[in-house]
Amino acid sequence: MTENKLSPAVIDELEAIVGEQYVLNSPEDLVAYSYDSTFTSARPNLVVLPGSTQEVSKVLEVANRELIPIVPRGMGTGLSAGSIPFGGGIVLPLTRMDRLLDIDLDNMMATAEAGIITSELADALARKGYFYPPDPSSDHYSTLGGNAACNAGGAHCLKYGITGHYVVALEVVLADGRIMRVGGKATKNVTGYDLVHLLIGSEGTLAIITEVTVRFITPPETERTAEAIFPKLADAGKAINAVLSSGAKPSMLEIMDETSIKSVEDYLHLGLPLDVEAILVIQTDGDEAEAVRGIEIVAEVCRQNGARDVRVAATPEESAEMWHARHSISGSLGRIRPNKLGEDITVPHSVIPRLITRIKEISARWNLPIVIFGHAGDGNLHPNILFDKRDPEEYERVEGAVGDLFRVAVELGGSLSGEHGVGVLKRPYLEMALGPVAVEMQKRIKQAWDPNNILNPGKIFV
Amino acid sequence: MTTDNTETRTVGEIAEELYLQCIRCGKCLAVCPVYRETRIETLSPRGRVALYRAVGENELSTGEVYANKFYNCLMCEACREACPSGVQLDVILTQVRADMARSGLLPGSLQRLDETIVAAGNISGEANEQRLGWTSNLESPPAGLDHGGQAEVAYFVGCVSSLFPASYSIPQSLVQIFERAGVNYGLMGGEERCCGYPLYLNGEVERAVEMARRNIEAVRATGASRVVMSCPSCHHMWKHTYPELLDEDALDGLEVLHETEMLAELARAGRLHLKPWPVTVTYHDSCDLGRKGGIFEAPRDVLRAIPDLELVEMADHHANSLCCGGGGNLETYNRELAQSLPRRRLEQARDAGAKYTVVSCQQCKRTLFGAARREKIRIRVTDLSEVVLRQLEDPSDD
Repeated sequence: MTENKLSPAVIDELEAIVGEQYVLNSPEDLVAYSYDSTFTSARPNLVVLPGSTQEVSKVLEVANRELIPIVPRGMGTGLSAGSIPFGGGIVLPLTRMDRLLDIDLDNMMATAEAGIITSELADALARKGYFYPPDPSSDHYSTLGGNAACNAGGAHCLKYGITGHYVVALEVVLADGRIMRVGGKATKNVTGYDLVHLLIGSEGTLAIITEVTVRFITPPETERTAEAIFPKLADAGKAINAVLSSGAKPSMLEIMDETSIKSVEDYLHLGLPLDVEAILVIQTDGDEAEAVRGIEIVAEVCRQNGARDVRVAATPEESAEMWHARHSISGSLGRIRPNKLGEDITVPHSVIPRLITRIKEISARWNLPIVIFGHAGDGNLHPNILFDKRDPEEYERVEGAVGDLFRVAVELGGSLSGEHGVGVLKRPYLEMALGPVAVEMQKRIKQAWDPNNILNPGKIFV
Repeated sequence: MTTDNTETRTVGEIAEELYLQCIRCGKCLAVCPVYRETRIETLSPRGRVALYRAVGENELSTGEVYANKFYNCLMCEACREACPSGVQLDVILTQVRADMARSGLLPGSLQRLDETIVAAGNISGEANEQRLGWTSNLESPPAGLDHGGQAEVAYFVGCVSSLFPASYSIPQSLVQIFERAGVNYGLMGGEERCCGYPLYLNGEVERAVEMARRNIEAVRATGASRVVMSCPSCHHMWKHTYPELLDEDALDGLEVLHETEMLAELARAGRLHLKPWPVTVTYHDSCDLGRKGGIFEAPRDVLRAIPDLELVEMADHHANSLCCGGGGNLETYNRELAQSLPRRRLEQARDAGAKYTVVSCQQCKRTLFGAARREKIRIRVTDLSEVVLRQLEDPSDD
């Protein structure tokens, strides 16, 4: 159906807007823009790569007039199938719009186009002596606009908060092509609804984010990292809460289970112990005394809670190695099975030990390997179900296990997603998590902003 | 927008286990020089694996557009190095190129390069006897010309250094260093041929094998038990690909070395007397020598042997080094794209605070040197052999 709407005349019009070379329709290009970092895919009818907000605006005018679905995309590294064009239409990657526009040192805020790679913004600020804390594991291969659209988290969020805590202003293009600026550099502003934070996490369903202004902070003077080795996974679970209530104020507190350890060791050959059920990787920061004292407390608390060994990194390089291992888990899982379904359920951190037990039960019930790693300190775990999609019977079990995972998260007082978003994969469970009234109110917002339902249709809501 | 009108052809087998390993995490996007510059997924490692998979699952047919995505690649293997899942991208990329060549999809510019190599025995197309052109303005003819079949080390100069005047100074420096350090070396002159690497990269395996045989013969005729290369690509081809293409014992009794290993060995043995050089330099790892050859420390050891020199690293170094843009025959296939790539590397050198980027590859030197001029980035680019010769103490000082 969409194919018919993309008549030669419409394609000509789009080529006139962005330039012929930035409208792609070869089968090769459509394959390359058919996926994200999940196991699913669907080809668009066209890929349009705009170079400016004006061009985005004009493309949306055409799409809204012709009722063509627009699926915005950053680097395609989402984990909820949120940027996959299941209903066809135009995939709109923002990757050409990657300029860092301004670093305002007086207000400590930076403005960039949506397609900038997050780590490039963070590195530019670090070179000037500043710190942009949100650090999704994909920060070297995801965009600031994508991070904002999905409200991405990361390991540092435990102490410093998520992407949404740093975004102060946005420039967006609405479904009908109008350009709107929301938010600003004034620290306090209660003039009207908080549209910045309505758009943050809206997954491209309300508007296309074209420019992002974030605040940044001064970095901690120093950091210390420790790896605590736990023969028993349950002990690691208990140690998490003990560390959080110890006064050590960790800036990052991450867990890797047995399978994560084996998978990442197979990739990096770091000499990680292969005979234990869990490792906690923990960082403290602050001034020298604070960071050192903090890590000493962490080490002591972990030992009291069943850690066999606690290794404190002696150098920044050793610390970087420990974090490199943690950040490499997700990608390394392809060594075990061809497909993975990585969830990001989130619960109050006090019930993390119970959540771990329940995940193990689900794994046994459905006879599927479920790897556990993630941001244990803020209650956001990444149970990854490993499977082979070519086996339909196995995939049915995967779907059963996913439902159980979500039910457990909600039962324990948590929710479906801490940082990946709903996309397509979590849609069926939205009402279970939010209740019918909240879903109805969200759908009304969507209808008000995008009456023709052209912006990332079919995402978040069934 | 392009339209794929090329007819459907069947190419070689697609190996399922190669593509199933990719879980599309996207980590390769962060390290691919072509993706970093173009930000087009179709020109990324993950995109290429997806295309390869689509062909394997009969969802896509191959043709010129498909081939184009694989030739717009530096074969630098940064993606293979970065892949957490262990996808063998080097195997996929090489296999697809070989399939393209077999099914008549080798692009014209690369076909012409291959014809030149086969006809002339070198990449420039000049008569192969001209390979000694670089010796003409040396003060005295190199001693290696009269080895009489008694050489200890054969020096395999490589096409670019032999035939492109801008690179002459590399072999000129190395033979002078050899002579000052008392190394008994031999040159093959017109008996040396293209190592075959460009043919291999273009997927022309049989033609590469022929080059390999003739080169091994020429080196054996010098009587040497070691063969040294200035060019990392020749070195990679000799050391890793020749035994694969011929048979395991094809190089028996012959040790394959890169110039940097020889220089490090001479420095260790106290045979190079190096003057102080108070300057900040960074070392650029070439893909073929570093990531593919595992030689990272030899060149750095030589630089560290120079008193007062400060060696700094760029943001991407050692196994994660960023390709200069000179690899994979991309320069021949898509000059505009190739020329857009080195800027990022030069900026990394500048950001590291270096005045000089030291390379140990004539292709990296050519690429980075040309780009520094074009982009007006004030970084000097020099080969390790040139640095060593310049820093050798005058014999009269001894």
